[in-house]
Amino acid sequence: MLQFLLSGIAIGSIYGLIGMALAISFYVTRIINFAQGQLMMVTVMITAELVSSGYPVWLAAAAGLVSSCIIGILSYLIAVRPILLSNRFSFGWLVSTLGFAVIVENAAAYIWSPTSQAFPPILNNISVPIGSAVLTGQQLLAIVTAAILAAGFEIVRRYTLFGKLGMATAADPEMASAIGANTTVVAIIAFAVSAAFAGIAGLLIGPTTFANPYLGDTFGTYGFIAMMIGGGTERPIAAMFGGLVLGICAEGANGLINSQASDWFPFIVLVVILIVSPKGLFSASNPLFRPRRPAAASR
Amino acid sequence: MNLTSDRQASAAIPGSQAGSWRTVGLLAVGLAYLAATAYVAQSDLGLQNLVLVAAVFGILAISLDLVAGMLGLYSLGQGGFFGIGAYATTILANDYGWNVFALLVLVLAATGLVGVAVGAMSLRVSGLYFAITTFIFTLVLTVLATDMVNVTGGLQGLLGPAFPDFPGGLQWLGTPLVWCTMAGLFLSLALVWNVRHSPFYPVLLSIRDAEPFAEAAGARTAAIKVGVFGVSAAMAGGAGWLFSFLGVVSPGQFDWSVSLNVLVMVLIGGINTTVGPVIGAMFVSMFPNVVNINPWLQEIVYGALSILAITLLPDGVVGVAKRLLAPRVGGSAPATGIVAVDEPPPAAAILPATALPTTPPEIIVECRGIEFGYGLGPKVLRNVDLTVQRGHIHGLIGPNGSGKSTLANVISGRLTPHAGQVLVKGTRVDGMPASSRSKLGLRRTFQAAQLVKELTPTQNVMVGLFDRVPRIMGRAAFWPMLASGGRDLAAMHRRSAETLALVGAGEWTSRQVGDVPHGIEQLTQLASVCVAGPDVIVLDEPATGLSAKEVKHLATILANLKSQGVTMIIIEHQTRFLFPLCDRVTVLNAGEVILTGSADEVRADPMVRQVYLGE
Repeated sequence: MLQFLLSGIAIGSIYGLIGMALAISFYVTRIINFAQGQLMMVTVMITAELVSSGYPVWLAAAAGLVSSCIIGILSYLIAVRPILLSNRFSFGWLVSTLGFAVIVENAAAYIWSPTSQAFPPILNNISVPIGSAVLTGQQLLAIVTAAILAAGFEIVRRYTLFGKLGMATAADPEMASAIGANTTVVAIIAFAVSAAFAGIAGLLIGPTTFANPYLGDTFGTYGFIAMMIGGGTERPIAAMFGGLVLGICAEGANGLINSQASDWFPFIVLVVILIVSPKGLFSASNPLFRPRRPAAASR
Repeated sequence: MNLTSDRQASAAIPGSQAGSWRTVGLLAVGLAYLAATAYVAQSDLGLQNLVLVAAVFGILAISLDLVAGMLGLYSLGQGGFFGIGAYATTILANDYGWNVFALLVLVLAATGLVGVAVGAMSLRVSGLYFAITTFIFTLVLTVLATDMVNVTGGLQGLLGPAFPDFPGGLQWLGTPLVWCTMAGLFLSLALVWNVRHSPFYPVLLSIRDAEPFAEAAGARTAAIKVGVFGVSAAMAGGAGWLFSFLGVVSPGQFDWSVSLNVLVMVLIGGINTTVGPVIGAMFVSMFPNVVNINPWLQEIVYGALSILAITLLPDGVVGVAKRLLAPRVGGSAPATGIVAVDEPPPAAAILPATALPTTPPEIIVECRGIEFGYGLGPKVLRNVDLTVQRGHIHGLIGPNGSGKSTLANVISGRLTPHAGQVLVKGTRVDGMPASSRSKLGLRRTFQAAQLVKELTPTQNVMVGLFDRVPRIMGRAAFWPMLASGGRDLAAMHRRSAETLALVGAGEWTSRQVGDVPHGIEQLTQLASVCVAGPDVIVLDEPATGLSAKEVKHLATILANLKSQGVTMIIIEHQTRFLFPLCDRVTVLNAGEVILTGSADEVRADPMVRQVYLGE
């Protein structure tokens, strides 16, 4: 039981990081970046490539993250900004971010061939017994990293001028730019940060999944579900909670129902949650559970 | 298959001269379509397959455009309905030997019902959340199709049934499936073309852009949304039925990425256009077959093209074509829609307003002990009593935040009071939705005009006729094709244009509302209310933002309406405009009625002078 809980939290942290990545870019631009999973994949592929060429892991990982950030910023400049400039309320971003995802994914498949490649184990070979359960060092690392990033993000969002600038841009970009905020820069930074979140998720899961150009599809979807379960569209940190719920449900279903159950059980959970609270479990509008600061949360 | 000419023909207007051109144009398009179908039915399998897939996705894209374009509901559930149609057909035809045509009826009915159920559930949320709820519906169905291996064949899928051959004498026609699919596409196109040219179309757009306006005009917006979503789901199910004859039916063909791709088709082709979705579907589905290079490079090109298309043509291919072909705004182009009609309007087209009883004075609107508050905040209305006599103009004044607009919303049905009663013509209406009150002859305008920006004032005024036109919804699917439909439409157009002229906005009929000045928006609102011949009108700050001249003009119009026996409740700050019009004035302060009396009494009251007139 403890084992399911802990491995659920570990994989959930990764879903949560991707969910938060989606939520951060959504928070500032009100669009869902369908290329988010692909941004994660970029880090994984670049890191794997550089490690196999003989560079040290930390350098390769840093290079991977930087490339994700660059491609994340490109996704904003190419696929998001032009659309929002012409009509802030159209759904055109859906086409363009999806198109961007298709380009990145297939470019990766073209360069590295669609098969999986080795990924450095990082801490995957270390076992850490916790009570009756055993986690790998990598799983522990995932939990700790996710906790630090989520908390750090929330602190920056709430207590720094930049975070408030982000909130202002999220609420009303025209008003924010009228009071002197450079909304483009805010959005670029948000996309870079969200790409970094996705990339870090990639580094954390890479040793388990290996490097595959199509990694982005699966994890992008799970990240999206994490965001929806949690209600990350209102507060990015809620996506992390959503990820944890999703991870625990998936692992629990695998262990307690059958080995295929993680394919469908999370969806049942999601449907139930959306019926009860259409905007997510941890959103301000949830009738069952109200966050402490609904006024801030509803931004 | 020259579909673009259909668009041009469809831009024609019901009217005497344009009508005959339209007939010729439609006939030409129909013949071309028939010839193209015959050609494809005789040609090789490669081309047939290309066209069939494009046509099936065309139907799917049209089904999405019906809800996304006209109602603003970006459904990502189309893939799910598509899958239900395909799987139901395959399983029931292969394993149980059901007749495929009987299955079509079943599939249409079943997916329609599922659509209604999903719609009713998802419509609690709007915008992006609607998209997400329907997305999850598709996700769950895909997971079911993958995991229920015994029934669905799992990831491998099932081989679809064979389409029956033509009977002996008709075999020269070629492949029957081509004829059937093209007929399906044609019917779908005809359906949306008709809806788009029917008087129901402005109503749909007003539900999309200005829901309170549609509700106040008598439209049960939630029910209409669910109903249209059901129709759209049935169309997607029908596309699935056709798809099952094309080969293997497997979960990958219906997953969420298909739903997204259908939205991509609609957006690239042009949202809220008749043929745009079909063009988008042709582009997306034919692309891999026409561009034949390394599969990954091909995908990269596809991604780049879709970004380019949506960035350079934000309104889609057809949207841009339409803008290029449209007459310049402000040019001397003839007013769309108000072609002169010589025949008298048929009596049946527009029901007359209810006849006025002849026994004034009589109480027409009464509020008793209304209590209301927003959320947990303080009460905004406290024990408010209001009595309005038939034929009166009743002013409602008070400082900002005194509850005037809230009271107007309670009377018109936007808000339900916590306690107290609202009676219109002696009928209790609290608890009734806003749309039902419109049938009692109660209409309202909004402080911030609620109109559809992309339609002309005339079309916006037509929304006001919603509950004066019998069976406006049921007939929308075929109405514009009938001769009587043309007459009815012309009559409604004329009635709307006349009403606009009556309120003094006659020269603005052909512009889009998005381009008219604020004063004209207010007058359009007023016309959309007057066109239905209401008994009571609630006007929420009608003079806001009008110039002095316009305010004077408005006063004349309102005085005119009064002389026709219309009762009015007017909320207004400009007492100089309001008081001369009013028979009675009620003063609200902090949610309570402090005085009701004639304009002079109110003006003379020391308390009113203190709290409101600031003396």
